[in-house]
Amino acid sequence: MKMQNRFVPGMLAALAVLLSSQSPLALAAGGGKSKLLDLSIPDELFKVQIKASCSTVSGKATLYWWSGRMYSRVPGEKDRLLFNVHGMNTRRCEIKTDPKKGLCWRSVSREVMFYLDPETNTILREWKNPWTGETVPVLHVANDPVNLQPTSRFICARDEEGKPVVRDGMMVKDDVVLEGGAAARLFYKNPLAGEYQDYVGGMYHAMEFGTTAIPLASARNAAITDFNDSVISWGRISRWIPWMKMGDREGLVIFHTAGMRLDNFAQLPEVVRNEIDLNYPQYREPPPLDDPRPNETSWTVFKKYVDSKRAGDGQRK
Amino acid sequence: MSMKNKTGVASLALLFGLVLAAPSGHAARSSAKPLDATVAEDALQMSRKMTCTLEDGKAIIHWWKGSMMSRVPGERDRVLFNVQGMNIRQCGSVSDPQRGPGYRSVSREVMLYLDPATDQVLRKWKNPWTGQEVDVIHVANDPVNMSRPSYARDEQGKPHQFRGIFVKDKVWTSGEAPLYYDNPMAGSYQDMVGNKYHAMEMLNSFTDAKWLLDRNLKTLPSVSISWARVSEWIPWMKMGGRPGLVVFTTVGKRVATIDDLSEPLRSEIRSTYPTYLAPPPLDDQRPNETSWTYIKKMVDAPRAHAQ
Repeated sequence: MKMQNRFVPGMLAALAVLLSSQSPLALAAGGGKSKLLDLSIPDELFKVQIKASCSTVSGKATLYWWSGRMYSRVPGEKDRLLFNVHGMNTRRCEIKTDPKKGLCWRSVSREVMFYLDPETNTILREWKNPWTGETVPVLHVANDPVNLQPTSRFICARDEEGKPVVRDGMMVKDDVVLEGGAAARLFYKNPLAGEYQDYVGGMYHAMEFGTTAIPLASARNAAITDFNDSVISWGRISRWIPWMKMGDREGLVIFHTAGMRLDNFAQLPEVVRNEIDLNYPQYREPPPLDDPRPNETSWTVFKKYVDSKRAGDGQRK
Repeated sequence: MSMKNKTGVASLALLFGLVLAAPSGHAARSSAKPLDATVAEDALQMSRKMTCTLEDGKAIIHWWKGSMMSRVPGERDRVLFNVQGMNIRQCGSVSDPQRGPGYRSVSREVMLYLDPATDQVLRKWKNPWTGQEVDVIHVANDPVNMSRPSYARDEQGKPHQFRGIFVKDKVWTSGEAPLYYDNPMAGSYQDMVGNKYHAMEMLNSFTDAKWLLDRNLKTLPSVSISWARVSEWIPWMKMGGRPGLVVFTTVGKRVATIDDLSEPLRSEIRSTYPTYLAPPPLDDQRPNETSWTYIKKMVDAPRAHAQ
């Protein structure tokens, strides 16, 4: 479910950095007290992005959770509800201060998203594909890691000359700081397709979009290092998920979810907590800050799964 | 609500109506006791607060901004437009001897297509796939109403359920409307030859649980929203039967007055869509307008004139 290295469900602060909504920054009218941060100062707004994505405390683990639904969109039929979904991303950031570039951060994270039966809301192990009639094993999203790549890359408040980097996309409106209205438009070589995708097609083609809303009182409070009250939306449009075994059949899948920042694992819904305890225990913590591994996406994870299965079948022969 | 009434670009009001529904006017049991989602009348008040307000006739404005992108097989998605939109609505109380208290919402909505580089309101657009320059027809749907009121109990007597999600101090509603019905701009044999109207609308609305549950607080002080939509090409793009879709993604919130809308939406409503400064009357019985029915009228008018 993960597109390459940058944008993660829940990693909505990255939207401000990576996407441009071409929207002029609207700023809240004063407020006055000296203890309150002035978000018209770019360095202060930059901190809001870090606090929304992870924390200004270097290495502190943070947690986002979201839930919603996944539908099919096939030409000539009404969109079908296929699954409920529950996802979570646990992340920490390395924070440093550069003499020229000011405050800088990079993130490391792990994330899972589970496909649930839309009737019973239980974790699916198998799924009967209604178009092919085939029953297939369900491969949940489990991407470890989802880090800012390359590992030397940091996002900084200022450029090489010390000028603030203008980042559209985050706006103060009345009593909230809003982010969203753009999308990560992904179109690149599909790790599961062949060597001639420019010629015969098969490219990875997806769009991810998210929104964040942070209470302005939290955003302006200098004492807060990470928001515990930010709410998010996450959506995604892509080709069929590989484990569905839809091959070249026409159609797309659409995800639509809502969620928020949680304080700890105990706040996750029981169905998510149990499945993580049972099958994904390492996802309780984000990776270490110096994690050098390349990123995983649902497509690369699935390729490993299929390849190891094929190798196993070969050995048995 | 029939499917046909839940249609149209930015039919935010109706998606609210689909996901939620609520009555009002029920006498408060105890003024201090929070609303109880397991009580039908309370659940309906909660839905109504998320949709509009418990105060009859008070205008509620939702505002959103974002972008519209293309999705064509074999190419990276393109940003075609920035968009800014708003829905202005009011709710009125009704009651039914069997079904208890109820309410109905009536609204109008506008969404503008803006140049993605300058945020200026577009009048013409050069279609990059056909090379043709076309007139831009902005979304202006009047009315977008609930066709029937929502009551504490449905026709079978089943109590209304508030379908919100409570997490920590927040509460939200999250829903989708998969739309698939006869396209008003296509022919009379769509079951045989295709060309149905095919779209999905997605809406999340977030607020604070303490506000929603306070039975003395008629209007939520703050609501933030995300609205998205996937559909076929917008008819005025003149894409004909070319493969591809459009995707809208937006973020927004409730705002207090028209003055709080972003530019250029605020000025454009004042200059070009003054009707949209207020919601329709509570007893509005007109059929709903959707972008497709509206564009059909815009296409039909010059054709009739030419004859």
